[in-house]
Amino acid sequence: MQLPPFEYIRPTSLGHALELLAAPGGRAAALAGGTDLVIAMRQRLSTPAVVVGIGALPELKSFEVAEDGGLRIGAGCTLTFLAEHPVVRERHPSLAAAIRSVGSRHVRNTATLGGNLNLPTRCWYTNQSEDWRRARPPCFKTNGDICYVIRSAKECFALNSADSATALLTLGARLTIASASGSRELPLAEFYRNDGLAPTTLGPGELVTAVHVPAHRDRTAFIKIAPRTGLDYGLATIAAAVTGSNRKVTSVRLVVGSIVSWPAPLPGPARIIEEGGLTGEAIEAAAEAARGDLGEVTNLYSSSGYKRRLVRALVRRALEDIRRQKLPAREAA
Amino acid sequence: MKKQFIRLTVNGDTREIAVAPNQALVEVIRDQFGLTGTKRGCTSGSCGVCTVNGAPGEAVLSCLELAIEWDGRSLTTIESVEQNGQLSPLQQAFWELGAVQCGFCTPGLIMSAKALLDANPAADAEAINEALAGAICRCTGHIKVKEAVARAVEVMAAANAVKEGSDGAQG
Ligand SMILES: Cc1cc2nc3c(=O)[nH]c(=O)nc-3n(C[C@H](O)[C@H](O)[C@H](O)COP(=O)(O)OP(=O)(O)OC[C@H]3O[C@@H](n4cnc5c(N)ncnc54)[C@H](O)[C@@H]3O)c2cc1C
Ligand code: FES
Ligand code: FES
Repeated sequence: MQLPPFEYIRPTSLGHALELLAAPGGRAAALAGGTDLVIAMRQRLSTPAVVVGIGALPELKSFEVAEDGGLRIGAGCTLTFLAEHPVVRERHPSLAAAIRSVGSRHVRNTATLGGNLNLPTRCWYTNQSEDWRRARPPCFKTNGDICYVIRSAKECFALNSADSATALLTLGARLTIASASGSRELPLAEFYRNDGLAPTTLGPGELVTAVHVPAHRDRTAFIKIAPRTGLDYGLATIAAAVTGSNRKVTSVRLVVGSIVSWPAPLPGPARIIEEGGLTGEAIEAAAEAARGDLGEVTNLYSSSGYKRRLVRALVRRALEDIRRQKLPAREAA
Repeated sequence: MKKQFIRLTVNGDTREIAVAPNQALVEVIRDQFGLTGTKRGCTSGSCGVCTVNGAPGEAVLSCLELAIEWDGRSLTTIESVEQNGQLSPLQQAFWELGAVQCGFCTPGLIMSAKALLDANPAADAEAINEALAGAICRCTGHIKVKEAVARAVEVMAAANAVKEGSDGAQG
């Protein structure tokens, strides 16, 4: 499949890139690693007039470790760089595991963290070649007025499958977002929406420039169930983080991915563990309670019943895994 | 859509070529450098037959790269792996162990494995699995391929041991 025509501009600085993206009409697109956007352009899901190559901008490549182990990650860092970085692996193992689960080694070598967080939502009826799609009228996601996943629906159910997002959410990450008119900080938890058509709150002309991961002494887990261990998007993923000991749990964060249109937090099951501790009984109750927080689960990519069972199993497995982990040493160093 | 001149080095051969923004790297390698060992398959990142090496140790999918972003950069392809008519240990192992059937995937598998071994000459089974997961073979079933890469690791280690031994004797 040939790429559609477009102008290509390599900006000289981040400021220059933001100016280019601010151009009226919104026909400019940022290309970071391009592992998603190039395919989207081939499939005519994205047909920008101007492609702004942000992949080589040094401002987006920075990687800083605070003394306490917190991170400031430039959005342009590649997934391979992050998955192999000793501080990410040792201090933030669930993040390293989530990043390492993206695509293949080949993909991760060029894919960036900023691109992963901004991965468009995906759907079986949309992420296909233009010819494939042309066989039926367009759906909500391609400017039509029907959803093929749920025929009676008035909204789009495309899935959010950005693997790094689940882990980063459980770690309380924050984003720096910049545009030609300034920059702002935002908790990652306020970045996503459960909306297949508008899955993030990123405004036109804005870029994610950095991801801040606070230091923590949580026990964490990340698990991905996919048809193949390498290369595939998840059928379901989970990231979990637990503060405190098995008996005295002070805080629990659970987020599942690839199930609905956002990385979905599971506050209900988390509360059960916070109240009951990490016991076999509480874990069982938390797993059972998971479906209550998911909202509408569709048959997209696999049946809804199977997905609910996967989520139940993942909640159980992640919490059992954490229950077996030793408490991290008192000293952060 | 204006073409732009880029300076690209493939296997040590530096050329100034005009590329359109919408040309993928794989097209430039095949159609402008005339190096057809690098294959065009799925063009969507999921088969690995277009794999070339950017920096040593870095497998790159040339179907997902815009050629225009490669101005001033260099890469190597399967054509650079054989030296003076001698197969590399990896190629030799693929041949001896029957890790090649129709051969369409082979350049991509060799370049994927070469990236791994350039960075990690003592790669273990897990590292080999990770490096090859993005390169698909529809004929061999992958077992022979993994055995071949593991064999190349052994052969290269043995050759290095001999070399170090003789270096030591001379020194
Ligand atoms: C075979 C294959 C398998 C894959 N498997 C997975 C998987 O398992 N899990 C997964 O999560 N992803 C997967 N992906 C998708 C993709 O490779 C990753 O999400 C990757 O991290 C995207 O990063 P990128 O830099 O290549 O993004 P690009 O393709 O450059 O960009 C993706 C989108 O993000 C926008 N963008 C990029 N950077 C920024 C920024 N800094 N600020 C704002 N917007 C930005 C772009 O404009 C574009 O819309 C897979 C891709 C392939 C080809
Ligand atoms: S052609 Fe590049 S991965 Fe298939
Ligand atoms: S040998 Fe035929 S695809 Fe691998």
